[in-house]
Amino acid sequence: MLVADRIEKELEDKKLKIGKYEFTSRLFVGTGKYPSMEVMAEALEASGAEVVTVAVRRVKINESESLLDYIDTKKYKILPNTAGCYSADEAIRVARLAREAGMSDMIKLEVLGDEKTLLPDPVETLKATTILVKEGFTVLVYTSDDPIIAKKLEDAGATCVMPAGAPIGSGQGILNKNNIRIILESAKVPIIVDAGVGTASDITIAMELGCEGVLLNTGIALAKDPVRMARAMKLAWESGRLAFLSGRIPKKLYAKASSPEKDF
Amino acid sequence: MKVILNGEPKECSEGTTIEKLLDIYKIDKNRAAVELNLQIVPRKELSNRMLKDTDILEVVTFVGGG
Repeated sequence: MLVADRIEKELEDKKLKIGKYEFTSRLFVGTGKYPSMEVMAEALEASGAEVVTVAVRRVKINESESLLDYIDTKKYKILPNTAGCYSADEAIRVARLAREAGMSDMIKLEVLGDEKTLLPDPVETLKATTILVKEGFTVLVYTSDDPIIAKKLEDAGATCVMPAGAPIGSGQGILNKNNIRIILESAKVPIIVDAGVGTASDITIAMELGCEGVLLNTGIALAKDPVRMARAMKLAWESGRLAFLSGRIPKKLYAKASSPEKDF
Repeated sequence: MKVILNGEPKECSEGTTIEKLLDIYKIDKNRAAVELNLQIVPRKELSNRMLKDTDILEVVTFVGGG
């Protein structure tokens, strides 16, 4: 086997485990805000994602086009979110409806505190997590990058904790790497960075820190060329993951020559 | 009789089941979840749940999101 193939295979063999589910791709991609459904479908394919997020909304009567016409549910695992919910009660209602509509217990729990910042409400998020876990949901919970609340969500039974790199849709990347490091240090569940990704290097940084995956939407959907950007994001997580597994050199203040000293 | 479907009043005849109502409005029940007066109705019960006057139905599905 070629060395490159062997390394690719290692990457594929080390699965991402989210409760009872296993995935090869560590990139979760959203389905909102694309210029068209066709572009979305191509971008999803180019990203190599196996998990795609969706929102739950009222059926529009007499509107025939459906998102699910463009997503092969045999190929992609659908991860419904509770986006747009501002209380635990609302989020729980949406989660129950999503489970009924999709026949899966996976939910991306998102309880927001404020429309301007779209930052999570930690109190309501924790309350909703506790209840949904009791009801048998596999809860992937969106939270801020605060290590204390991240730990409390894990203790409440969240299957996966998903701290924001930066505010939703802001494209600012990982604003506080130190907080993500602290979260990773004590986490016993997978940590997936969710929100804030603007470009490929943001994903690589998250993966190099040791995150188990990255979830993004806007960074692909609103890029000038979403399909090409989706590919870039795939290469970015693979690159970051391999670098993390390889053990980087320590940072030093002074130079160290790569070539032997001149001896003639 | 009149029911409220996703916030809009709709006329339907006595004895209409939820499944029948979804059919009338061309809603694919396999991609939807239904709440009748705030209680979720499991998909397998849609065909035998009869609607009553003033019933409130919320029917949701998946749309693009992050």
